[in-house]
Amino acid sequence: MAYINFKNVTFSYPENPAMPALQDLSLQVEKGQFVVLCGHSGCGKSTLLRLLKQEIKPHGAILGDIQLEGQSLLVENSSSKGIGYVFQDPENQVVADEVLHELAFGLENVGLSTNEMRNRIAEMVNFMGAENLLHRKTHTLSGGQKQQLNLASVLLMQPNVLLLDEPTAQLDPVSAREFLDMIVRLNGEFGLTVIMAEHRLEEVLAVADKIVMMEKGQIRLEGRPKEILPKVWDSSEKPYVPTIPSFYLKVFDQGQEGCGVGASSEVPLTVKEGRSWLRERRDGSPVYGYESTESTQLISEHKLDKPELPPSEPIIEVKNLFFQYDARKPSEAILKGLSLNLHKGEFYTLLGGNGSGKSTLMKLICGVSKPQRGKVIINKRDLKRWGRQELAKMIGYLPQNPKLYFIQDTVGKELQDTLEQWGLATESGEKRTSDLLNSLGIPHLTNKHPYDLSGGEIQKVALACLLVRQPQILLLDEPTKGLDPVSKGQLADILLELQSQGLTIMMTSHDVEFAAKYADRCGMMFEGRITSESSPASFFKGNFFYTTMIQRLFRGYTEDVVTMEEAIRIWGAR
Amino acid sequence: MIQRFEDFHPAFTFFYYMGVILLLMMFQHPTILVIALLIILMIHFVEDRFQNLKRWSLLIILSGVLIILLNPVFNQRGRIVLFIIGDHYITLEAVLNGSVTALSIMAIISIFVSYNEVMTPNKLLFLFSKLLPQFAVLLMLTLRFIPLMRRRLEEISAVQYSKGIAVTDGNWRKKVKNGLLYIQVLVTYSLEEAIQTADSMNAREYGKGERTTYDHFRFKKIDAVAFLWVGFLLIYCVIGRLYGFGVLTIYPMMDPIPLTGMEWCLAIGMFIFIAFPLVVKGGGRLKWRILISKM
Repeated sequence: MAYINFKNVTFSYPENPAMPALQDLSLQVEKGQFVVLCGHSGCGKSTLLRLLKQEIKPHGAILGDIQLEGQSLLVENSSSKGIGYVFQDPENQVVADEVLHELAFGLENVGLSTNEMRNRIAEMVNFMGAENLLHRKTHTLSGGQKQQLNLASVLLMQPNVLLLDEPTAQLDPVSAREFLDMIVRLNGEFGLTVIMAEHRLEEVLAVADKIVMMEKGQIRLEGRPKEILPKVWDSSEKPYVPTIPSFYLKVFDQGQEGCGVGASSEVPLTVKEGRSWLRERRDGSPVYGYESTESTQLISEHKLDKPELPPSEPIIEVKNLFFQYDARKPSEAILKGLSLNLHKGEFYTLLGGNGSGKSTLMKLICGVSKPQRGKVIINKRDLKRWGRQELAKMIGYLPQNPKLYFIQDTVGKELQDTLEQWGLATESGEKRTSDLLNSLGIPHLTNKHPYDLSGGEIQKVALACLLVRQPQILLLDEPTKGLDPVSKGQLADILLELQSQGLTIMMTSHDVEFAAKYADRCGMMFEGRITSESSPASFFKGNFFYTTMIQRLFRGYTEDVVTMEEAIRIWGAR
Repeated sequence: MIQRFEDFHPAFTFFYYMGVILLLMMFQHPTILVIALLIILMIHFVEDRFQNLKRWSLLIILSGVLIILLNPVFNQRGRIVLFIIGDHYITLEAVLNGSVTALSIMAIISIFVSYNEVMTPNKLLFLFSKLLPQFAVLLMLTLRFIPLMRRRLEEISAVQYSKGIAVTDGNWRKKVKNGLLYIQVLVTYSLEEAIQTADSMNAREYGKGERTTYDHFRFKKIDAVAFLWVGFLLIYCVIGRLYGFGVLTIYPMMDPIPLTGMEWCLAIGMFIFIAFPLVVKGGGRLKWRILISKM
């Protein structure tokens, strides 16, 4: 008897009875299992999770049965006390203004005595190592810390099952990894049953007992990671396969096996497994081994592929920029003498840790904040001498949270408003707008409220609104955050298309793989300055931590491989 | 550890401040009020060298001066005429009446400044959560939401600025229109996000049953001692006041201004009450010295 048992569940929301959110879905989860749900946004992952938690169960019609330890969860007054739920957004789950209050909140709700609360909190704080955070105001915590706090306050209720709805989507990779490590630990050391919806399979593959691939309210594929990955690879959900297994499978596809390694079921999941597979291959085949000539050949090939831009006009020049938020605290300066040059038509990616000042730099370039010292020169004119309207026409800025971009209540109105603001509400302007919407694949969204859209959709819509005013520079703050792999691919296509039309693109990102694949130049921000800057190939080559999975896989064999395409090519050239 | 005034149990601190305000309102006598005001100023000086009071000084002085000046303008009653302006009589009674009101208001504002520093929202929350648990949750959410909304509004105006829309643009009609749009975005966005907060509260069993509260503050022996001491002084003062001491009768016939012996006894009780934080501070210093000299 399974611990959690979905029996032919069909669920439909009242707004859309014809299109059930879950369709005849059956799923068994054993006690202590680590289950990962993946699939596009809107495929029913959240609905499935929420149905397990009585208190936040969505309204709608349900058929079938959901059982926890043989008890139906669908009867009136059934309790789901043993189930903890962590949501996606770190900020919105926080109730109290102080960490200690937040931790106590759930315990207060179940009516524990102060003594017991104090014991449980003490234990939890110890486990999480968060003693020094207890009396901090919650809004001063970083996103990762907030999410850990949310997890802690759920764990304090001593659940047997932990449900997580894309808990790391809003976090940077370092915090995301820390968070996932914690989940893995809880599962491994305490036998907590974990069901998690997640896009980043990279981190959880090695520990998950079961991957469930969902599509349109149904389970498409289900099984252990090693069994399921080749199947996912052969389906239309290819982008979900993380780098290392997909490299293996790609090689496998090309039929270049035959050195004693490999059925597709032995797909490597981690860098460690990947490297041992590579070693085995090399030892098994005398032909194998890279000559230095091949390496150089590879570099030139790379250059052919992505030609070095002709030294065009610099469009953004940043000179010796200083910025601090609090005038009285010069020691907390964010930017300390930063300089940067961007050429026309370039795709530049700014990488760097949290709070290193990436977003601040963008705000300074688009004139939202003013630097204390230093110069920003746009198109050979000092930023101070640009009128605000002129500047807004020149630069399109997409904030980290695209929701704040919209001032009107439908997408169509927002577009119309922008057209009127820029005096483009002519026939040709509207024609262009509809062309733009078509090319982004979003003409059907014009009557929707921006907040009803998914992460990928709202990004595209905001981009459309930016592009309507025909800016020459695009500043994008973390555009890949929280996107599923498919939407990420679409975003990349859009950006490359815009670049080919002559736009200059600058984006900040934590996504190393994305930067390596699409950017012309990458810059690393540290200590208020850009410390290193070059093309992705040489940028990532020397890095140890801050680099792509493929580079980690090939480190020591050959140094120049950074992206999958390069790896495949040198595999073929062998 | 040396006990500080801030470390007392919130219930006691609350009781002390309410007591001070009550006494300041009861004892309407210029001499008593002047000395009380001086003690309160001393509390501020010892606490932070007037750092906090400075920000309020304009309000305190202005309201004091205004009341002293305006009272004789509207009030011509009294027997002792100081001088005559035109056909307007300025009487000693009117001036004294104004000063008493002014002094008690100045003293109350000053003690409130100290109250604000010592009674942090946390302590207040703790006190209320004992009485009204649901209200306490509301208060907690509000405390979180005020800075949150302010930060969101900043973000919104930054983004809209980059779009070429700003509240500083155009004529006042356009400014108002843009400002209202900002607020509209803020409200819709916040409501949208608040749904998730509500879900997260529900997921943690909020509203399922009887709520208890986490005791952040423990009632210690020293709190009990302080309560007894201060409570005794308060009762002493209140009883004295009920017998009619400690107040300057101005109308219809003004009493002599100097305090009688009995009134002094009462006033000193009140001063000791108000000076409680100074006593704690002084006692703490003394204890520290003794500890150090023993080492």
